[in-house]
Amino acid sequence: MPLVGNIQDFGLSDFLYLVDRGYKTGCLYLNREHEQAILFFDKGRLIYASPHEHETLSEVLMRIGSISSPEAAQSMSPAQLQSALQPHVEEYVYTLFGWGDGEFLFEHGQKPNADAPILPTPIPVENLIMEGVRRIDEWGRIKDRIPSTDLIPRFLERPSEKAKGVKLSPEEWRVFARINGKDSLAAIAQSIGLSEFDVCRVVYGFLTAGLVEVVKRQRIQAETRSAAGSGSGLRRSLVSRIIARIEKM
Amino acid sequence: MQTVKMVISGAVNSGKTEFIKTISEIEVVSTERRATDDTSKVKDKTTVAMDFGRIAIGNDLVLHLFGTPGQKRFDFMWEILSEGMLGLIILVDSTRPETFRETNRIIDFFVSYRDTPYVIAANKQDRPNAWSPDELRLALRQPPHVKVVPCVAVDRESVKSVLLDLLYTILERSNEEG
Repeated sequence: MPLVGNIQDFGLSDFLYLVDRGYKTGCLYLNREHEQAILFFDKGRLIYASPHEHETLSEVLMRIGSISSPEAAQSMSPAQLQSALQPHVEEYVYTLFGWGDGEFLFEHGQKPNADAPILPTPIPVENLIMEGVRRIDEWGRIKDRIPSTDLIPRFLERPSEKAKGVKLSPEEWRVFARINGKDSLAAIAQSIGLSEFDVCRVVYGFLTAGLVEVVKRQRIQAETRSAAGSGSGLRRSLVSRIIARIEKM
Repeated sequence: MQTVKMVISGAVNSGKTEFIKTISEIEVVSTERRATDDTSKVKDKTTVAMDFGRIAIGNDLVLHLFGTPGQKRFDFMWEILSEGMLGLIILVDSTRPETFRETNRIIDFFVSYRDTPYVIAANKQDRPNAWSPDELRLALRQPPHVKVVPCVAVDRESVKSVLLDLLYTILERSNEEG
C-alpha cells in the first residue's frame, strides 16, 4: 500500500526520517499546484531527485552544464557522475524543505528507469535533514516540536550509529557540547551566549535527525522516582490479577 | 473496593469511544455532544467530555477505563485524568497521517509529566490505506522499546490484545524496578 498524506501535516523532514530509519526502497512523489518532485530511495538512501519524472542522465547533465553533448555522459566515471550530480540533487532537495504544503505519495519498492540520473553512491538522508532544517527559520515550525525553552534536551538512550555520520557546524557543536540532560534550552542559550531562537533552531535540527529528545523537568524527576522503585510489589500483584481477568474475557 | 485507572487517549476520531465500548462490561458513559469546531469535518459527533468504561476484576478490585476528550481545548482535563493512572493507551488513526503530529503532542503531554507506561494502538488496521505499526513507530518517532501494536477498536479480541500488551509492559517495568 502506498503511504499518502500532506507535507503540511507530516513534513518532508519527518518523511525522510521514516525512509532513513525504515531502510525504505521506493519513490516519493510530491505535488503542489503545478509543481512536482520525484525522489527515489534505495534502502533508506537517496539515489535520485528531480522535478521531472522521465528525465534521462544525459538530459540532466546537459541541463546542469556538466556535458555539452549527450554522448559525453557515457564516458564519465562514477566519481565524475557523483560530483556532477550530488550537489545538484542536494540543492534541489533543500528547496523542497521550503514547501509548506503539498500532497505526498510513497510507492514502496518502485525503482527509477535504468537511464535515469541515478547517483552512483546513494546519499545518506540524515545530512540532508540537518541541512534542510538549517534553512528553516520559522519559529512556528520550530515551536511545533519545541514549545518552550524550559524543556531539557538530552541524548537518546540508544543513539543511532547514524549519528556518527552527521556533520555539525561550529555553532551546532557549541550547543551539542552543552547538552547534558539537566540544563534547559534557556540555560544553554545563556551559557554559550546565543539567542534562545538560535539554540532552539539548532536543537530542532538534532531532534529532526533523531539525535536528541526534549523533555520536561518533571519527566526527569518522575524517572528518578520510578528508578527508586516505590510500591512495585503491590503493583505487580494488581497487574497480574487484571491480566488473568482480561485473558479470560 | 480498590479501583485502578487506565487512560485511553488519542486525537479526534482515533477510536477511543469504540475501544472502550468494545471491552467495557457496562454501557459506556459517554457525554457526546455535537461538535462545534473543525472536528465536525471528520465526525458528526465527537467526545467533548469523556468516556468511561468498567471491568470488574474481582470482588475487591475494579478497572476503570477513561477516554480523554480529543480536542485541544480540553487539554486541562488530561492532567486531572492522568493522576494515578496505571497505564496509558494512545490510539492512532492509522489512515490519517494528518493526525500524527497531534498524536505526538498528546504522547508528549502524558509522558513528559510522568514516567507512565504506555503502548500505542495503531487503530483501523482493517482499512486498506492504513500505515503499518512499523511505519507508525517511525512516523511518531517512538523508540524501539515502546510497543506499537495493531488494533481494530471494534473487535473485542483486538482490544483485549492491546490491553494485555499494556499490562505486560507495566509488569515488565515493575519487575525491572524490583
